[in-house]
Amino acid sequence: MSARPGSKGQVAIVGYAHSDVTRHAGRPLGALAVDTARAAIADAGLTAGQVDGFVTSALFPTAGAHAAEDGVSLVSADWLAQRLGGSPRYVAGFQGIGQIPGSVALAVNAVASGAADYVVMHRALHNPKGSYHANPMRTAGGAQQWTVPQGFFGPLSMIALPYNEYLQRYGASRETTAAVVAEARKNGARIPWSYWHDRPLTTEEYLAAPLLSDPICRYDCDIPVDGVAAFVFTSAERARDLPHRPVYVAGQASSAPPRRRLPLHWPLDDIMAGGTALAKRLWEQSGVSPADVDLPQVYDGFSPFVYFWLEVLGLCPVGEAHRFVLDGGIDSDRPGALPALSGGGALGNGRMHGIPQMLECYLQLAGRAGERQRERATVGVACASSPHFGGAVVYSTAPR
Amino acid sequence: MTAGPAAASGSSGPAAAPEPTRPVPAPDERSAPYWAAAARHVLTVARCARCSTYVVPPDHTCPHCGSTDPGFAFEPVSGRGTVRSWTVVRQSFLPGFRGEVPFLLVDVELAEQPELRVIGRLLDGPDTTLRIGAPVAVAFEDVADGVSVPAFALAEPSATGPGEVRS
Repeated sequence: MSARPGSKGQVAIVGYAHSDVTRHAGRPLGALAVDTARAAIADAGLTAGQVDGFVTSALFPTAGAHAAEDGVSLVSADWLAQRLGGSPRYVAGFQGIGQIPGSVALAVNAVASGAADYVVMHRALHNPKGSYHANPMRTAGGAQQWTVPQGFFGPLSMIALPYNEYLQRYGASRETTAAVVAEARKNGARIPWSYWHDRPLTTEEYLAAPLLSDPICRYDCDIPVDGVAAFVFTSAERARDLPHRPVYVAGQASSAPPRRRLPLHWPLDDIMAGGTALAKRLWEQSGVSPADVDLPQVYDGFSPFVYFWLEVLGLCPVGEAHRFVLDGGIDSDRPGALPALSGGGALGNGRMHGIPQMLECYLQLAGRAGERQRERATVGVACASSPHFGGAVVYSTAPR
Repeated sequence: MTAGPAAASGSSGPAAAPEPTRPVPAPDERSAPYWAAAARHVLTVARCARCSTYVVPPDHTCPHCGSTDPGFAFEPVSGRGTVRSWTVVRQSFLPGFRGEVPFLLVDVELAEQPELRVIGRLLDGPDTTLRIGAPVAVAFEDVADGVSVPAFALAEPSATGPGEVRS
């Protein structure tokens, strides 16, 4: 046991559930969340009455003019806890940097501190009717007055700028990124609940798509969906009495606030500096090194994030992720490669934020991945969002 | 290359719904001097009265010295800078820009201070060939009566590049 105070290896995931991922669920997101949470609790061998903690990050990440309504376009922890019954005594929402790692930390800390014994952590994502990000604003005040009158708005241009910096700096090309997206879609096509189930994408299809904000095309972006995932956390000690093999949280690190910039201005150097600092803390905190990781799950809500995460985690040298990918370095079917998108990621599942990464770590490490089960999966890293504005969690099959 | 919405609306056909106009800035107490200077086609940047650091965007505290009373004043700058990155916007989430696509956005490091970066349109046209480090100079788009938005245009390399200028 480490001398470091904290929860390292003391808390485990003991069950999960995942809804189908669809463009529009045809029923309220809240109802989907209640069903999914109930299924996760049952999967963990528990009853709703035993669950006493609820955490989430409820963020509805649209740049558009959509209303944010609890139970409809987002599902808060309180909303869910009110509807599941039982006797909740710890209910919290995460509002900082790195949505999924942040809410995992809430769950871990609740268990480690004794605030709750069994914690449901959920994430509910909604695709509103109409354009996800369109915003008919006529005037721009506050921070947006510095960018919106210039036409700089929304996440496509946000990611296009650092992506282009990367391509220019390292002589990379969209042909390589096609391989990233094809890998994500290949793996997503194998996942029954994925929006892209049975629908892989070829590099030719990728390269034929029109550009939206150079060098970004539609396939570089995860597709907005309705979907819910829920996980149950408890102590390593209680986990022993539950039906599934526990998957332990070995460590967690979140991004520090990046340098103050214009809204949505994410220069490549900021991303890499923030991510490098995050990775250093992640390895120190978890006692794991990059060489120990057999299941890295990099975040890919926009395809260039795959390069950035591979590099900041030290899984390949800085500036070489594009070559690493092209050489089959993340091909989940190639022996010896790093299966960095084996869970399909966001590109291969839909806009479920960091859930596909977390779920793949859980399923593989718990030995519950079915036909997709990998022979060797002992240490996973689930990344979320941008390396400088997100976080990562290390999972392990053994309490470390 | 660019026409403001005032010009564009003059050419719209009959019976067509009016094209949404480009969003215009809503100046506040702090930013009013910036937009007033822009209307005169002068680019300014907020500068901390305590430590003289240029700050984009200005906030309630200075990111350099930490002052909670930074007394930011918008001071004219050279308008020169270099391109750090760019993108061609072909689909805008802002309806008021749909008539403007495709257009180029450049991420510009201003000459006055390392990493002093702003984003604006490049008015040379969407097919302009660019490279990292290309020199640019400020230009202005007159988008409505009394409202001008800073943008950029390609410039000749200056004798003192941004690498040499340190404030």
